[in-house]
Amino acid sequence: MIADQFPWLTAIILLPLVASLIIPALPDKDGKSVRWFALGVGFADFALMCYAFWKHYDASSATFQLVEKYAWIPQLGLNWSVSVDGLSAPLVLLAGLVTTLAMFAAWRVDRRPKLFYALMLVLYAAQIGVFVAQDILLLFIMWEVELIPVYLLVCIWGGQKRRYAATKFLLYTAASSIFILVAGLAMAFYGTSSGSPFTFDMAELALKQFPIGLEVLLYAGLLIAFGVKLAIFPMHTWLPDAHGEASAPVSMILAGVLLKMGGYGLIRLNLELLPNAHVYFAPILAILGVVNIIYGALSSFGQTNMKRRLAYSSISHMGFVLLGIASFTDVGVSGALLQMLSHGLIASVLFFLAGVTYDRTHTMAMNEMGGIGQAMPKVFALFTMGAMASLALPGMSGFVGEISVFVGLATSDAYSTPFQVVTVFLAAVGLILTPIYLLSMLRQVFYGDSAVCDMASSGKPSQSDEAVCFGTNCVLPSEAIFNDASPREIFIAASFLALIVGIGFYPKLATQMYDAKTVAVNAQVRQSYVEISQSNPQLYAKGLAFPRIAEVESASLLGVVK
Amino acid sequence: MESIYQYAWLIPVLPLAGATILGVGLVAYGKTVNKMRKLSSGLIITLCGLAMAMSFTLLFSQLDGHAPFVQTIEWASAGDFRLTMGYTVDHLTAMMLVIVTTVAFFVMVYTDGYMSHDPGYVRFYAYLSLFSSSMLGLVVSPNLLQVYIFWELVGMCSYLLIGFWYDRKAAAEACQKAFVVNRVGDFGLLLGILALFWSTGSFEFDVMGDRLLALVESGSLSAAMASFFAILVFLGPVAKSAQFPLHVWLPDAMEGPTPISALIHAATMVAAGVFLIARMYPVFEELPSTMTVIAWTGAVTAFIGATTAITQNDIKKGLAYSTMSQLGYMVMAMGVGAYGAGLFHLMTHAYFKAMLFLGSGSVIHGMEAVVGHDPALAQDMRLMGGLRKYMPITAFTFLIGTLAICGIPPFAGFWSKDEILGATFEVSPVLWGIGWLTAGITAFYMFRMYFSTFEGEFRGNDTSIQRELKVAQLQKLGMSLGPGAMNPQELALDSEAHGDDHGHHSHEPHESPWTMTFPLLALAVPSMLIGLVGTPFANYFEAFIHAPSEVIEGVPSEIDWAEFIPMAGSSVGIALIGITLGSLMYLLRKVDAGAIANQIKPLYNFSLNKWYFDEIYDTLFVKPSRRLARQVLEVDIRIVDGVVNLTGFITLVTGEALKYLESGRVQFYALIVFGAVLGLVLVSSVT
Repeated sequence: MIADQFPWLTAIILLPLVASLIIPALPDKDGKSVRWFALGVGFADFALMCYAFWKHYDASSATFQLVEKYAWIPQLGLNWSVSVDGLSAPLVLLAGLVTTLAMFAAWRVDRRPKLFYALMLVLYAAQIGVFVAQDILLLFIMWEVELIPVYLLVCIWGGQKRRYAATKFLLYTAASSIFILVAGLAMAFYGTSSGSPFTFDMAELALKQFPIGLEVLLYAGLLIAFGVKLAIFPMHTWLPDAHGEASAPVSMILAGVLLKMGGYGLIRLNLELLPNAHVYFAPILAILGVVNIIYGALSSFGQTNMKRRLAYSSISHMGFVLLGIASFTDVGVSGALLQMLSHGLIASVLFFLAGVTYDRTHTMAMNEMGGIGQAMPKVFALFTMGAMASLALPGMSGFVGEISVFVGLATSDAYSTPFQVVTVFLAAVGLILTPIYLLSMLRQVFYGDSAVCDMASSGKPSQSDEAVCFGTNCVLPSEAIFNDASPREIFIAASFLALIVGIGFYPKLATQMYDAKTVAVNAQVRQSYVEISQSNPQLYAKGLAFPRIAEVESASLLGVVK
Repeated sequence: MESIYQYAWLIPVLPLAGATILGVGLVAYGKTVNKMRKLSSGLIITLCGLAMAMSFTLLFSQLDGHAPFVQTIEWASAGDFRLTMGYTVDHLTAMMLVIVTTVAFFVMVYTDGYMSHDPGYVRFYAYLSLFSSSMLGLVVSPNLLQVYIFWELVGMCSYLLIGFWYDRKAAAEACQKAFVVNRVGDFGLLLGILALFWSTGSFEFDVMGDRLLALVESGSLSAAMASFFAILVFLGPVAKSAQFPLHVWLPDAMEGPTPISALIHAATMVAAGVFLIARMYPVFEELPSTMTVIAWTGAVTAFIGATTAITQNDIKKGLAYSTMSQLGYMVMAMGVGAYGAGLFHLMTHAYFKAMLFLGSGSVIHGMEAVVGHDPALAQDMRLMGGLRKYMPITAFTFLIGTLAICGIPPFAGFWSKDEILGATFEVSPVLWGIGWLTAGITAFYMFRMYFSTFEGEFRGNDTSIQRELKVAQLQKLGMSLGPGAMNPQELALDSEAHGDDHGHHSHEPHESPWTMTFPLLALAVPSMLIGLVGTPFANYFEAFIHAPSEVIEGVPSEIDWAEFIPMAGSSVGIALIGITLGSLMYLLRKVDAGAIANQIKPLYNFSLNKWYFDEIYDTLFVKPSRRLARQVLEVDIRIVDGVVNLTGFITLVTGEALKYLESGRVQFYALIVFGAVLGLVLVSSVT
């Protein structure tokens, strides 16, 4: 059984990494062979992970599979320990798909193509590393490794304020990631004096029992670390800058995969390792989720820049992930994961199409656009589909994720009824706000008389020159051609949309991959909930205070802005 | 016979397949597919025809007394939680299937003529087919969640079709408005679904009704709470069926092409609200306060719609308000417990209103030959008149529709409207009074419409009226765009361009091609006769369609003449008064309508401006929400971001000190991080 011995996951991580090292040595005249090479590697890696999961991954089991563990730096207790379970596997596939298609989207990047594709491949490897690492130290290293290519990708290719955005992104994420390390060390060292092993391995850490005070501290620290990544209010402000200024392919990865690392981390570490603290934090998560939904939606509506509007919509959609995580129900947790996957696909396609539009218009300001539907009916059609998916139209994946979260939250027996009513109500307000900002974007950009000719001439070349490869290509504004989507562009968008519609029509396509796992996670969290509420029956009975907090918070939020 | 039930899922799937083929074709091979016009429309019409044939088979099978059929599959699951989807065929479904497929079929045939010059011909068929599919999916839904899914999908199709001419600014705004207003209703519907699921643990209609009743009886859920849940669900129909206060989107929706107005915004989609109320009857009928709310909403809507329709000059807007008013009747009927009567009116209305809209489309089509493709001119009744001479078939069918909607026996509308009014009188004479008055207003404005369109002299070549309308339209536009946006030169250019576009300008409107007149004639038949299935003498309709809780044996035929005569007499009487007034003012010109309007100027303006709903909503919701969004954004940039940037700034200043590293900021930073990690780990492992 050599197939069982083969280190599938290691191979999946190392393939793009090694390939990125080869790139500088590649003979290359005009960047044409590099892109074929990078795309080929990306696709091969994606195929590899599909094959590995198809053959060796058992979706009906909630345990870690394809386990590999090699001592790396034994002195530090660092192990190369990777494996997948229901939580990782779909996200690994998402990362592979989005990154591969992002490289295909960046087909016409001709500024320093070698560096670009090499960084993309490093990013590819690091993302998968984050999702499969079973060792907290390894997770932390992967987390940091992923930052560097993103920083450079945003810094070199992007809009006018890209350096500011890149620095901000780096500072936020890196500073907050310290908490992962600190928490990891604390967990590893805890109890070593009383005979517990010193270990970074998550499966072993899960067996340790931490005192509740420490758990709460660790939880809070990790919440900051992952909250920044997931763009939880008020730690979200890096996101509109980074997503808004990055070039389109990088935005696809940022919104499609990197945001999900936050949600993944929350479930993987906070829920699985610290379930007791989660019981105390869950209402806060729910409140933050609601704030994210409404605050993100309103900010998005206030934006006049297309990419920033999409970026804020991501913030809004991530609120549903928080709500699902906090729901204490199978369907809620499942919905949270599905919402991550579906947002990964939807945000990617929307950012991609925004880039495609930018290639033609060379502006992101929606008030300078208008009537583009006349010139580019295909882009218009695809964009409409993407926007419909994003506003949770049934038949598309966004709906299934959100309705699962809603049903999960509404049927949750963990909260008091007033708290449930307020959160469900406010989250549902988001349903009204989403079409308002998305459809008004469509209206401003695509509807109306053809104003296409004006735009080409009225562009401000002095400023636009500063943006480098902001869209999916590097064409100068003066050379931009107003043509409709090319077959390559249609293919990329259609790949995403096919999956979005597929999952929307039959959600079990996606959910059966991780159902066993989310049920297990929820069972664990519920058990903690039962234990804690038995020993401390006051918790949620007195927890009636929480709904009051919810109301006060949202009321004060509205009060501030008024 | 069983096999037809096994394959009933094909009814919504067939049009979906057609839409998918055309949609994918358009995106992938736009130019080629756009040229295959007849092939595309042929495919879509064939598929719709197949669905129609299957629907009729199902209807006959149900009439034979076949038991209801349900088939479900597991759609989504998480742990022990299961969601099922599927399809059900019962009496109500069978009737709705036939209504939707027949109207859709005739509209599709009609479209071939109406859209023949439009470059978006194929896309239009794709949308039409997608809509048919969603609507058919809605009527076969076995549970509330699936209804919600298709509910949203028909809303999306409506959005796409209203915004079909996406180069028109008004269409762009109308489609967005329609979607958002409907989302407000869906928001209530979703909350209601969740609340009902929370309390009953089910999405099935009858299970929900039974359990909710049990909960209320056992006292674990207060009746007020249960009614509140039901009213939340009712918010969905309020938006979809254009009931007060969420009706504002429907008149604007007339920006879409006319076949759409006939299919979606008159016959089928807007009736979905009534259909949902019917489906939710097991829940609603046990909650008297909910029923009262429903009945009053319907009555108020009927009245608002009728009073607004009186003064509208745009033929489609007038019909739109009339639709709203008729939907009000249906909702009122449901609210007073006249389940069968409400759905009967749904059916008769679907046929005669679809015909009226298609007739108005035929008129517009004819007018465009004279005044050009400008909706402000081609749809304005002040430019019409005397069209009966030029378009006899259209005029004849329009007259039938007008008589039907006015409730003149034996046309379809009489039987259904009379049944509603009779049932309402038993519950509440006040509601009956509103309905009765509305019937009179309906007769007046419908004949006003008929006379000013088809009788008298043709005014289409009167350039002074044309100019007046043009100026009024620009003023309206100017108001919404703000001062300075109006450019007289643009106006001049605009009208010249229109002249060039359509070389076929003539001084006389023409009758439409057979593809348009055939559906008109075909729909005229049910508009005349379909009412006869539900006469009080032999109410076959009631025997077939009745509330789930009622038990009806045989065909109810007992008729109480003492009750029927005054009821029918009074409604026919007020209709005749309305018609007489209408003919005095608009046919014989004995009474000057303008003078009356001037005498009651405030009332006239109130009606003309649609009760000022748009203005009120603009001040109350639209502007504040924009302001709020801007303020939130300000807070985000200034305060939330500012605090963090301060921290970032301090860090950067520290970084500046190490400027000589040049581009090495990252490496340097990474170095620090790794150094710190390493140090920390080493220190901790030593201790």
